[in-house]
Amino acid sequence: MPEVIAVVAFLEASVRLGIPLALAAMGETITERSGVINIGLEGSLIAGALGGALGALAIGGAGGGILVGALGGALVAMIFAGFAVGLGTDQIITGTAVTLGGLGFTGAIYQARFGTTGTALTLPTLPSVPIPLLSDIPIIGSALFNQPPTTYFTYVLAPVLWYFVYRTEWGLELRAVGEEPDAAAAAGVRVKQTRFWATVFGGTLAGIAGAHLALAHAGTFTENMSAGRGFIAIAVVVLGRWNPLLVLLAALFFGSASALQFQAQTFGLAVPYQLFLAFPYLLTLLALAGWVGKSRAPASLALPWPKDS
Amino acid sequence: MRRFSQLAVAVLALLATGIIAAGSLWLGGYDPLVAGAAMFQGSFGSGTAILSVTMVRAVPLIVTGLAVALAFRAGVWNIGAEGQLYAGAIAAAWVGLSWGSAPGWFLTPAALVAALLAGAAWAAIPAFMKVRLGIGEVIPTILMNFVGIYLAAFVVHGPLQENRGVFPQTDPISDAARLSVLVEGTRLHAGFLIALLVGVILWAGLRWTHFGFQARSVGASPDAARVSGMIESKRVLLVVFLSSGAIAGLAGGIEITGVTFALYEGLSPGWGYTAIAVALLAGLHPGWVVFTGLLFGGLEAGAGAMQREAGVPAAWVSAVEALVILFVLAGDQIRRRFGA
Amino acid sequence: MTEVLARLDGITRHFGHVKALDSANLEIHSGEIHGILGENGAGKTTLLSILGGIIHPDVGFLEVGGSRVRLQSARAAWKMGIGLVHQHFTLVPGLSVLENLALGRRHTGHRWTLHLKEIRKEASQLGKLTGLTVPFEASIEELGVGDRQRIEILKALLRNPQLLVLDEPTAALAPAEIDQLFRLLRTLAEEGRAVVLVAHKLDEILSIADRVTVLRQGRTVMTAVRADVDTAILTDAMVGSSSSEGEAPITPARNALPALGQSSDGLAQNRESGNRSVARLKGIDVYSPQGGLALQDVGLEVMSGEVIGVAGVEGNGQRELALVLSGRQQVASGKLEIPEHVGFIPQDRNREGLAADFDLTENVALALHRDPQFRSGPLLRWKLIGLHAAEIRSRFKVKSSGVRALARELSGGNQQRLVVGRELSRLPELLIAENPTRGLDFTATAFVRGELKKLAHDTAAGVVLISTDLDEILEVADRVFVILRGKLTPVPSTHDSREAIGAMMLGSRLEVH
Repeated sequence: MPEVIAVVAFLEASVRLGIPLALAAMGETITERSGVINIGLEGSLIAGALGGALGALAIGGAGGGILVGALGGALVAMIFAGFAVGLGTDQIITGTAVTLGGLGFTGAIYQARFGTTGTALTLPTLPSVPIPLLSDIPIIGSALFNQPPTTYFTYVLAPVLWYFVYRTEWGLELRAVGEEPDAAAAAGVRVKQTRFWATVFGGTLAGIAGAHLALAHAGTFTENMSAGRGFIAIAVVVLGRWNPLLVLLAALFFGSASALQFQAQTFGLAVPYQLFLAFPYLLTLLALAGWVGKSRAPASLALPWPKDS
Repeated sequence: MRRFSQLAVAVLALLATGIIAAGSLWLGGYDPLVAGAAMFQGSFGSGTAILSVTMVRAVPLIVTGLAVALAFRAGVWNIGAEGQLYAGAIAAAWVGLSWGSAPGWFLTPAALVAALLAGAAWAAIPAFMKVRLGIGEVIPTILMNFVGIYLAAFVVHGPLQENRGVFPQTDPISDAARLSVLVEGTRLHAGFLIALLVGVILWAGLRWTHFGFQARSVGASPDAARVSGMIESKRVLLVVFLSSGAIAGLAGGIEITGVTFALYEGLSPGWGYTAIAVALLAGLHPGWVVFTGLLFGGLEAGAGAMQREAGVPAAWVSAVEALVILFVLAGDQIRRRFGA
Repeated sequence: MTEVLARLDGITRHFGHVKALDSANLEIHSGEIHGILGENGAGKTTLLSILGGIIHPDVGFLEVGGSRVRLQSARAAWKMGIGLVHQHFTLVPGLSVLENLALGRRHTGHRWTLHLKEIRKEASQLGKLTGLTVPFEASIEELGVGDRQRIEILKALLRNPQLLVLDEPTAALAPAEIDQLFRLLRTLAEEGRAVVLVAHKLDEILSIADRVTVLRQGRTVMTAVRADVDTAILTDAMVGSSSSEGEAPITPARNALPALGQSSDGLAQNRESGNRSVARLKGIDVYSPQGGLALQDVGLEVMSGEVIGVAGVEGNGQRELALVLSGRQQVASGKLEIPEHVGFIPQDRNREGLAADFDLTENVALALHRDPQFRSGPLLRWKLIGLHAAEIRSRFKVKSSGVRALARELSGGNQQRLVVGRELSRLPELLIAENPTRGLDFTATAFVRGELKKLAHDTAAGVVLISTDLDEILEVADRVFVILRGKLTPVPSTHDSREAIGAMMLGSRLEVH
C-alpha cells in the first residue's frame, strides 16, 4: 500500500515542519498579546539554532543544545526588547535590524568556529520517542506521536498558554497591556515589564524552535537555516487569531504546505523544486489576504508606550 | 538646529557601533587594528579600491536606500526592497538575453525600464493588500522577498539557465545591453550616475513638489493628512509604494547591466535589508543616502579584504550594519526625549 | 473635629522646562467632598496623579493618615486606600466589563486563576448599594459614556478606598447623570470617606463641595469652606486679578488676511446679501465602523450667518456628522449639498488637526497646498506659503519661536489658534467645529468661541458647532439641535433651557406644556 505510506510520510513531515513554526508562533502570540510585534523573531530562531548546535557539542547532548538554544533566543529577544520596549524605538525597524544582526552574527560565529570550508557539521540529534498506545493508532499515530520530545512539549504548551491568556490574572494583565496600556498602567500593571518579559518569552520559544530545527530536523547547522520561518510564524499568529490553540493548528497547516515539497514526487507532481520552496510564502500571503479582515489584532500592537516619547 | 542634532545622532551612532564592533572583534580573538586597517585598505585605501570596489558596491545600496527612504518618508514600511531588486534583476536579464541583437541605445534603457516595471509589479501585491484590504505591508513585503529569491533561483535553474546547463546562472547578456564604464580601467559604471540622478529627483521631488509634500504629509501624520480633506491618502500611498518598488527594481537592473552581466542565485547579499540601515542613517534624506550608501559600500568592500587578511568572517559586517540601525533608532529616541 | 486623611505639602513637579506644580498644598479631611478648581494647565491633573501614585513629586511630600508615604506606583496608592478615577477612561475596550473590574482588583488571592465569580458577586452587591448597575458580560465597545463612567467608579469602589479622587467625572455626563453621581458621592462622604473632585465648571463644584481649593499656575492660591466663597471670588482666584491685562482682545482677523482664490471678494459680497442656504442634508444615513447606523435619517439646513449648535452626550454620532458635513466621509444614502470651501476644526487637534513633526508653514500647507495661488505646475510656492503662515501666526497670536517651529513645540492653546487661524484663512463658506475648546484655558476658549461667532455674523458663513459642552452651545449657537443615537432633533426655541436640552440629550421625552 504505497499510498498509505506516502500519506503517513506526508503527515509525519507536516508535523515535523510545523512544530518549529508552532513553537515560534505560540511565543510570538504571547509577545503580540502584550502589544509588541517582534519582527526580530527570525533572529531568535537562528540564534536558537546556533545555540542548539554549540550547546549540543559543548555539553554533549541534544538536551543541552535545547537549553542553550533557548538562552540564545531569549538573549536576542532581550536586545530587541531593550530597544523597542525600553527605549520605545520603532518595533518594525528594530525587529528588522535584530533579524539582520542575528543572521550576520550567527554566521560570523559559525564561520569563526567551524571555518568556511563547507564541510557539514554533524550534531547529536534529538531522537523520536514513540508514545505507547497513541503511536500505534493507524496512519496518524506515528505521525503525531512518534516525534522528538520538543513536539510533545509543543502539544502540551498550546492548552497551557491558552489557559494562561484567558484564565489567569497574568493573562488578563497581558491582554490589557496589549489592548490599552494606559488603562493597564492606571490599574497598577507594570506595562514595560510585562512587554519586556512577554517578548523574552517569545524569543525563548523561538530559540527552542531554532534548536529543534538544528537538532531534530537537520542534524546540522547552516547559515541562514531559519530561512524566513520567523516571518512565517508572525503570519501564523495572525491566522491563528492570537489564540494559542488556533495558532498550533495554523502552524501544522503550514507544516503540511511545506511538506508538499518532499512528497511532490510521490504524488507525481512535476513542479520545480525552487517553486515548491516559494510555496509556503505564497500560501501565507494568500491566507493573510483572505483571512485577516475577519480577525482583530491587539489594539495597541506595534505602538510604543508611553505614547509620546 | 534640527539638522545638526540629526547629524550628531548619526555620528554618535557610528561611533558607538565602531566601539562595539572593535570590542567584539577583540573578544573573538581578532586584532581590531589589523582588521580595521584591512577594511580601510580594501575600501578607501587606494584609487582602485575606491573606484572599482567601494563605489561599485555602493550603487545598489544607494539605489535601494533611496527606495526605502522614499517609502519610509510616506510611512510605507517597505521591507521588500530585496525581493523587488530580484524582480528587477530577473526582468533586466531576461530583456538583455532575449533581445540581444537590438542596438545599445535601445537595449540598455529597455533593460532598465523592464527592471523598474518589474520592481513596481513586485511591490504591487503588498501595495494592493495594504490599500485595498487594509493589511499591514510589513509581513507581505518580507514574504515577497523570499518568493523573489526563489523565483530567481528557479529562473537560473530552469528557463534562463546557461546553455551548457551546468551552473545555476544565465548566459551573459549581450554587450549592447551593458552600461558603459565611467573611468577607463576601472569597474565604475554609468549606474553610479543613475543612482545620483535618482537621488536628486527624490530630493527635489519631496522638497518642492506638490506630490512630494503630500507624500511627506501622509508619512508625518496619516490622520491629519486625511482630515485635511486635501489629500487622497490611498492614492499617494499607492504611488509611493509602487515608485519605491520600481526604484529597488532598478537597483537589480543596474547590477545586471553594470556589474554581473548575468543573473545567478544569491545575486544580492541582502542589499534590500542593508538599504534600511543606509536610509535610516541618512535620516531618510535622499541627499544623505548617497553618502551613507558610499559608507556602507566601503564597509562591504572592506569586509572582503578583512576576511582575506585578518580572517574575520564577512558575515560579521551584517551584524555591524544592524548595530548602526539600532543606535540610530536609539539616538533619535533620546534626541526626542530631550526635545532637541 | 474632622480628622485629616491625607495631606500634600509643598509639592513641586516639573515636566521638562514647564513647572506644572509649584509648592502646592492640599489637605483632605475624612467625610468631606473637596472640590479642586483651576484653569486648564493650572496643575489639577498633575496634583491628582501624585495622589494616585502615577507621578512622583520633585519636591514635597505626601502624608496619609498622619504618616509620610512615598507612592511609587498606582498600586502603592491603592494599597494606601487612595482610589483615582481618571479624566480619560481607563477601561480596556477588548475586555468584558467583568474582566475590567477584575483588572482593577488585583492580587486578591493566587494569580493562576481569575476570580470572576467572586468579583461578580461583590460588584453586584456594591451595585445594589450604590445604584451603580452595569452589564457584566458586555464588552466595553458596546457601551455608552454613562455606562463607562459608572464602571470606572464601581471599579474604584470595589477596592474600598478611603479617599476617592475623581478627575473631571462630569465632562461626559448629561445633567441628570451628574445629579445621580453627586448623590452617590454625598453618600460616600457620609460614610466617613473623603472625596476629591476636580471640575473646571464652577457651578458644579459649588453645588456639591464642602471645601474648595483653587490652583493657578501650579500654586494653590486658596482653600476655603464652601459657605465662604461665591462665583466671583472663585473666578478671581482661578484667573488671577491681573487677568484683564493678560491678553488684549483679538481684533477681527479675516479682513487683514490675504484673500485666497479670485472669487473671494465676490463671495463676501454675496454673503452679505441676506440669508441663504450654505449646506443642506436630507435623509443622511452613515454606517459606523462596527456596522450599525452611526447617523440615521439626518436632515439639516445651515443658513449663512448663523451658528448651529449640536449638543449631545459623546459618542452619539457627532464624529460622523462632522465628517459628513465637512465632506470627509461617504454617506450610505441621502442627499448632501455642501459648499466647496469647508473649514474643519477637528476634535483631536494633535492627531487630526496638525502633523506634530511639521513646522507651522508645513501645517498651513496641509490645508492650503491645493489652492492655485500656492502652486505653479507641479511645484509648491513655499515662499508664499511661508508668508501666509507668518500672517496667520501674527493675526491669531500663535506663540512660537517662528514659522519654522514644530507643531509639537506649541502649547495646546497655541496649537488650536494655529488650526483655527488656518481654517478661517481658507475663507470657508461653511465651518465645522468639533469640541473646539476642549482642554483649552480660559482665554483661548474665549478666543475660539469669539472667532466662531465672528465668522458667522461678520462674514455670513455658516458655522456648525458640535460640542458636548452644553454651556458652550448655549453661549455661541443661534439654533440648537440635539444628537442622540445618530438622530438629529431640533430644539424648539420655546424649550431651549438647560434642563430641557439636557433631558433631550438623555432621550427623555420633552414635556410640552
